Amino acid sequence: MANYEIMFIVNPNTAEDEIDKINTQIEGVITSGGGQIQKIEKMGKRRLAYEVSRFREAFYILFALAANGDVVRECERRLRVMDPVLKYLTVRVDEENRRLDKMKNYRQKRAARRSSGAAAATADQAGGEAI
Amino acid sequence: MARPREDKPGGPAKQYYRRKKVCKFCVERIDGINYKDVKLLSQFVPERAKIMPRRISGVCSHHQRQLNDAIKKARSIALLPFATE
Repeated sequence: MANYEIMFIVNPNTAEDEIDKINTQIEGVITSGGGQIQKIEKMGKRRLAYEVSRFREAFYILFALAANGDVVRECERRLRVMDPVLKYLTVRVDEENRRLDKMKNYRQKRAARRSSGAAAATADQAGGEAI
Repeated sequence: MARPREDKPGGPAKQYYRRKKVCKFCVERIDGINYKDVKLLSQFVPERAKIMPRRISGVCSHHQRQLNDAIKKARSIALLPFATE
């Protein structure tokens, strides 16, 4: 299992419930394939940076999931087949996340060490003043 | 005999003082460069939508590589332009 992000853009003229239908369909593919959905984010209508099949704006939808490669492949196939979906992008994020966690841990540790050192110093000072 | 300082090999002192460029990502401790962060990425794509070279932006090579990937991903999902028309 690996973590992925699938982002896709949908024709701006599709109705809200139709977008929900697409989402539930993708959800179904992921859960039936043994994957877990971490997040579904509707990023709303945005202006596109360039024209995609004659559209200047589109709905952005982001899925974050943990699944096998087969599941992702199936999702991509479904997205390709669906008419209102203009474009999709799948990114594998676990390596990046691991790196970020490592950096975060490191920063926290450093901050903790520094603040504990500072605390000790201030305690010393306070002691000195008391005497 | 000691020579005057200006005549040292390497020529006279530089006339212009150029501020040393620093990597934005190192300075601001930005860990991950995400393709969804259009606001951040668009600072590194000038008008023609080309990726800004390191010699101009001052970004370190490590972060420039990450920035490159992020911009290219953002382009493929139409968050950033390939070129401006």
